Amino acid sequence: MDIQFIGENLLPGKIGQFFIVLSFCTALLSTIAYYFATTTNLSKDSLVRASSEGWKKIARLAFLINILAVIGIGSSLYYIIYNHLFEYHYAWAHSSKILPVYYIISSFWEGQEGSFWLWMFWQSFLGFIIFKRAKSWENSVMTIMMLSQAFIASMLVGVEVFGLKIGSSPFILLRDAMPGPIFQRGDYLSVITDGNGLNPLLQNYWMVIHPPTLFLGFASMIVPFAYAIGGLWEKRYSEWVKPALPWTLFAVMILGTGIIMGSFWAYEALNFGGFWAWDPVENASIIPWLTLIAAVHVLIAYKNSGHSYFTATFLVLISFVLVLYASFLTRSGILGETSVHSFTDLGMFWHLVLYIFVFFFLSIFFLVIRWKELPITKKDEETYSREFWLFIGALVISIACLQILASTSVPVFNAVFGTEIAPPADVIAHYNKWQVPFAVVIAIISAFSQYLKYKKTDPKKFYISISVSFVLSIFITAAAVYIMNIYSNVMYILLTFAAIFSIVANARILGDAFAGKWRLAGSAVAHIGFALLLVGALVAAATNKVVSINNTGIGFGDEFAKNNNPRENIILYQDEPVKMDRYTVTYLGDSVEGVNTYYRINYKVLDEKSGKEKENFTLYPNAQVNAKMRQIIASPDTKHYLFHDIYTHVSSVPLKEEDHEEHEGHSDDENYEKPVTYEINIGDTLRFREGYIVVKGINRDAKVQNIPLGENDIAIGLQLEVNSDGKTYPSEPIYMLKDGSKFDFGKKVDEKGLKFRFTNVFPDKNKLELMLYQKPKAEKAWVVLKAIEFPYINLFWGGTIIMVIGFILSIFRRNKEFKQA
Amino acid sequence: MKKSSIAGILIIALAIGIIISTYADSSTYGSFKDAKESTSELHVVGQLNKEKELFYDPKQDANYFAFYMRDNEGRESKVVFNGSKPQDFERSEQIVLTGKMVGNEFHASKILMKCPSKYTADEVEVTEVSATTAQN
Repeated sequence: MDIQFIGENLLPGKIGQFFIVLSFCTALLSTIAYYFATTTNLSKDSLVRASSEGWKKIARLAFLINILAVIGIGSSLYYIIYNHLFEYHYAWAHSSKILPVYYIISSFWEGQEGSFWLWMFWQSFLGFIIFKRAKSWENSVMTIMMLSQAFIASMLVGVEVFGLKIGSSPFILLRDAMPGPIFQRGDYLSVITDGNGLNPLLQNYWMVIHPPTLFLGFASMIVPFAYAIGGLWEKRYSEWVKPALPWTLFAVMILGTGIIMGSFWAYEALNFGGFWAWDPVENASIIPWLTLIAAVHVLIAYKNSGHSYFTATFLVLISFVLVLYASFLTRSGILGETSVHSFTDLGMFWHLVLYIFVFFFLSIFFLVIRWKELPITKKDEETYSREFWLFIGALVISIACLQILASTSVPVFNAVFGTEIAPPADVIAHYNKWQVPFAVVIAIISAFSQYLKYKKTDPKKFYISISVSFVLSIFITAAAVYIMNIYSNVMYILLTFAAIFSIVANARILGDAFAGKWRLAGSAVAHIGFALLLVGALVAAATNKVVSINNTGIGFGDEFAKNNNPRENIILYQDEPVKMDRYTVTYLGDSVEGVNTYYRINYKVLDEKSGKEKENFTLYPNAQVNAKMRQIIASPDTKHYLFHDIYTHVSSVPLKEEDHEEHEGHSDDENYEKPVTYEINIGDTLRFREGYIVVKGINRDAKVQNIPLGENDIAIGLQLEVNSDGKTYPSEPIYMLKDGSKFDFGKKVDEKGLKFRFTNVFPDKNKLELMLYQKPKAEKAWVVLKAIEFPYINLFWGGTIIMVIGFILSIFRRNKEFKQA
Repeated sequence: MKKSSIAGILIIALAIGIIISTYADSSTYGSFKDAKESTSELHVVGQLNKEKELFYDPKQDANYFAFYMRDNEGRESKVVFNGSKPQDFERSEQIVLTGKMVGNEFHASKILMKCPSKYTADEVEVTEVSATTAQN
């Protein structure tokens, strides 16, 4: 029997689904047409060559329709989420009615489907620029880009072909996505009042902007890849490097910005207490970024010297394959036990694997068939030449990358070989052990290679110019490690030296830039930024200090002395200041705003001698408290100073139980202390803990709802007035005689935790009996919190910004060179 | 031989070294029984025993959290974690502990949980308003 479903709005989903199919078909058509436009154009037969234009027309038309289809998908999905059409699984799973508009945008890409769309959108955006400006490169480059576009579109199709589900559509209906008994009823929508809402951790402004930036970065990595393939395919071996270079820099810049934004989000909104955790999801995105950085350097080396052609091409190609590998890691669910924040599998495991393999074999195929024709020099590089050190630098970056890749791929290794290797027990130490030495080498190379010329440099001149920077750096390093307090670790000193050497050496290059050699500015600025980032990351990670050290508790004593493990959480009772490190910290109270509870934590620094206040600030870490689920979801708050940050999050708070429902076997009176019985008269005053109660009078005409009174029955109300904190609350408990039996109807004053029962009348004594119930004294409010001081973390963020500026300058330079050529 | 080729060979040697060391650095998955026999830290996968009490009382100690977990072989052990109770702990379906045995207690240095997150769980939350009048 068919059920008639009421209130569903199926049109936007149908339109959206149509656009998905359209985008897939047009992307495929455009790929094929661009393919033939490329191959026919390569033909020696002029007649065949003439047909190239026709193919190109078809391809272009298909591409333009594809753009419209992609926009159509996005608009339909946005319409569904914005209008809270919870008949669609995506809207139900990722949004709710209370979300403000900017978080509706984030809920759009919370799910896999939305983020695939984002990728697809950027890919068509970039495609449009290629379409407009790539001229002779359009055919081959677009063939590759459209192939990728077709792949992503296929991830969204969500249809079954021969029993195999292909992709996952964002337009699937809730009742199709999750069969349940409630869908037996036609009006099921009337009981689904709200969606699941956006994960509270994602309700952060960085989550509005981080995913689009990251996906623009991922999407733009296909452009250099497509140029490299195009170059091999059309045998324009050296030609592709120039137009690809600005694109490579663009991809590196955007992806780098996106990664750091994610890191900043983690620092601002998550409570793991740091900005980088070597989580597989983080690693997955930094791997292709590093290989593409390496690629930039060898591309430049090739362009200027003719060396390193194969390395450059290979790195460009592998970078995009690694982007696909990253999306496989995060989307296939393979990371499972090793990562906190990857997606769960939507049944696209093999689909994603196929995507990787197609692009991987495409790269290998072209490299192999063109191998003999590749412009690989037989000449040896000079040791004192820039191209040689660019090449070495790129190799070191690649190796650093390989280490991250190997460790991150442990779950993949387990899946392929059926092993059960667990990640290292101390993940961060494991990565740092490798990455710190690599960073030292890379920073040092980035310092001195700026003083080398292409082809050949006079070693004498080189040593003279570099020695100034070298000696200067030693002095600065000595001062810096002392000030920043990292002199106890040799590796830290070395890394600081390497970074400072790089800053000094590049600053001198930048000085030359101001003197007129503007071309060099981009690379100098980018390297300075990168070196600052290294110092910032090192110092913040190595010397961050838990402020909330707690030396009390059950385990404190023998065991503590043995392990000497710091205990990092501390309990604060309201209005009781606690001294932590140099701060005097007080929990002042909390306030509720929407779903969040904000805890007011005041920090004061007092001068030890005079007792004067030197610093005074209040942080508002918040938590979503769910007493029913007995859980809290906490977000930190951070006080930013120029040279350090104070970071605080609550780790535990009292769970305020919602009022219990009364159920059998439990009487409401259990919530109160033992009652006190008074014999009173009108005008009397009774004291209770928080104030007093005045007996105002008697209401002889009291009524109880639904109980009609007979002739001989009486109901009397006792008019009371509760006075507390300057406020008054009236209350009128009722005493009733009905058919010869006594009844009483108690009344509560919930604000004050009081309950009254008017239980008897003694006409002979002219007294009334009142029972006073009072709730136990409220527990003193407390929070458990953790506070960390991060010194010099602004070097990390500042270095990032400087590096991005350096990339922008370089993009302008390389783009200009390309246009002039 | 070209210098870059030499560099290449060195790099490949280093790469092999890295891969070997990565896997040497890695830990193992085991059970509580394995943990008893081993002195180094390892990973134990299991489920929280929800029938036994979770102990976390910040008023006594804000850094002492104890619970009982059953490993995948069904063996149960008390687990002690020096820290606050992780968010969402009760709802966890699976727990991965990193740590070692100290006496009869497993001392965890890291806890990783898998929860049926509200945001991915395929469960429709139904609210129904029924027309009942409150009795006073």
